[in-house]
Amino acid sequence: MSEVEKLLSMNRKAADRYLKREVLGEGTYGVVYKAIDTKSGQVVAIKKIRLGKQKEGVNFTALREIKLLKELKDPSVIELIECFPHKGNLHLVFEFMETDLEAVIRDRNIFLSPADIKSYIQMTLKGLAFCHKKWVLHRDMKPNNLLIGPDGQLKLADFGLARIFGSPDRRFTHQVFARWYRAPELLFGAKQYGPGVDVWAAACIFAELLLRRPFLQGNSDIDQLGKIFAAFGTPKPSQWHDMVYLPDYVEYQYVPGQPFKTLFPTATDDCLDLLSKMFTYDPKARISAQQALEHRYFSSGPPPTEPALLPRPPPKREPGNPKVSDLNPHDGPVVLSPPRKSRRVMPHREGFEANMHPEKMDDHENEIQQAAGERSEQVPMSLDFSVFGMKPPTRPTINSADRTHLKRKLDLEFQPEEE
Amino acid sequence: MAANFWISSQYKELLDQEEVDVVHQLDKERGITLDDFKLIKLHMSNYVARLAQNVKVRQRVVATAITYMRRVYVRRSMTEYDPRLVAPTCLYLASKAEESTVQARLLVFYIKKLYSDEKYKYEIKDILDMEMKVLEALNYYLVVYHPYRSLAQFLQDAGMNDATQLTWGLINDTYKMDLILIHPPHLITLACIYIASVLKDKETTAWFEELRVDMNVVKNIAMEILDYYDGHRSISDERVNAAMSKLAGR
Repeated sequence: MSEVEKLLSMNRKAADRYLKREVLGEGTYGVVYKAIDTKSGQVVAIKKIRLGKQKEGVNFTALREIKLLKELKDPSVIELIECFPHKGNLHLVFEFMETDLEAVIRDRNIFLSPADIKSYIQMTLKGLAFCHKKWVLHRDMKPNNLLIGPDGQLKLADFGLARIFGSPDRRFTHQVFARWYRAPELLFGAKQYGPGVDVWAAACIFAELLLRRPFLQGNSDIDQLGKIFAAFGTPKPSQWHDMVYLPDYVEYQYVPGQPFKTLFPTATDDCLDLLSKMFTYDPKARISAQQALEHRYFSSGPPPTEPALLPRPPPKREPGNPKVSDLNPHDGPVVLSPPRKSRRVMPHREGFEANMHPEKMDDHENEIQQAAGERSEQVPMSLDFSVFGMKPPTRPTINSADRTHLKRKLDLEFQPEEE
Repeated sequence: MAANFWISSQYKELLDQEEVDVVHQLDKERGITLDDFKLIKLHMSNYVARLAQNVKVRQRVVATAITYMRRVYVRRSMTEYDPRLVAPTCLYLASKAEESTVQARLLVFYIKKLYSDEKYKYEIKDILDMEMKVLEALNYYLVVYHPYRSLAQFLQDAGMNDATQLTWGLINDTYKMDLILIHPPHLITLACIYIASVLKDKETTAWFEELRVDMNVVKNIAMEILDYYDGHRSISDERVNAAMSKLAGR
């Protein structure tokens, strides 16, 4: 047997090893399946990387993720178990994660105690500290990129935007992060930035855990800065000396900001102290992830909840028993990811559909399509629904109530089980 | 990233010379000797560098591409993985991994421009197919640490800033050998600085002694580099062509 033949049979073996189950979602660059590793019995998630029209080979974002995840092995980072090519497509095998932090935050049946919040933010910071120690910036920190495993352990995922830093003079793009999690230096167009950008985003997530809604929901970069300043006050040069030299710096009218105690009325003093250090304007003065972990907030009571005991969305309900009211936007805060710049077009935003036409959400593909079609005409939105016209969902869309709980991810909204 | 090479996959995957100098059975059957093997890798390193000059990428991309190519041949045969395809594919992959993507069609354009020989002629599809195989051969390890990174700092510290050009050139030449597969990159840097200091008659003994590194290893690397320069004179086009001709035709 020649070497190539040997390899081919090896790959077939790798592919055969996994028993493909339902589709979990459509990721940034391919479909994600749930699968069972027949060798170990382990449940895994397999990302099948689409080869972009066979023009530029393995997707750049996927390659980034592979490159970094091969170097980042830690309980706080999603594990890339292996990669294998099969039928011309590259497949990435990840450990299976049950849910994500966004689902936890937005599930109104979940009460998060101070100890629970401490546990979630501690695990987030541990993941960041680990990446930063390895000189990797995540650059896309937000609740739905923080996955939660069956044991309650939170792990950083989606390294498609991550970069290695370390050369002091490397210039990066400032168009990273979903806007609501973007640090002020990025909003002012900084090209040389460091781990502080991830810490700012972690602070936003921290605030979101406390408030149960995204903290600073700007609808443009300018507005985002306005929201930041309205909360913390316009930075004075004494607070942030380098600010005026940033490429897109513009002067904002002075606003005084509010005391942290007013912004986060439920938080303890230790908690507020840490938050204020993570929300420091000057990235040079901002606390690092490692320092944050050593903050007294984590050593003072109450101790963080054991991951296994953390409240999580209930396991998905049986289809046919939808609980639509969960998603009614008028009842309370609904957490939606802010629209992103060009990078991600998400045609299947069931979040919107479910909210607006709950009565239409059942398992019939046609109706869903129809509903989606109607909506794109009626409701102007920042998401591109026009894609629906060209590319109808290939599978029956999930029923609305299940969606929240099912959204466990590798990027995305979920599809129903095919059992 | 100099500080965390020690926890990188590259460190874990460092090889011994004896593991690198293994001619694959299939290649042996075609009459490829260890000398041929090294010569072909050298020739392909030059090929990568030449292509890179045309498509204009940073030296670091070239270094990563050559490292990939050399890693591939630790595990794979030249008979089944034609170096004339693997080399440009490695450049293509390295350009992506190092965040300065070069389009495959641009590479194909320059391949055709630089080499009229039919044996070099590969199309976009060939490169993309090979990309997947190269990824696999690399076991998907893509991060490479290079000797360039610590260079400026070392030279500054040793008071040898005037030797920057020379040392940079020496480091470039180390990619014509397999050193990057065998040694931690900072030791390669030090070996090059050592050679430069000897050439420039700089007294650096005290500086080297203060570094907590095994000077024997540094000197051995330096000797290898000097051996390469010695041997390089005897490398003629005929020898390269003779070695290349043993490769499979298509």
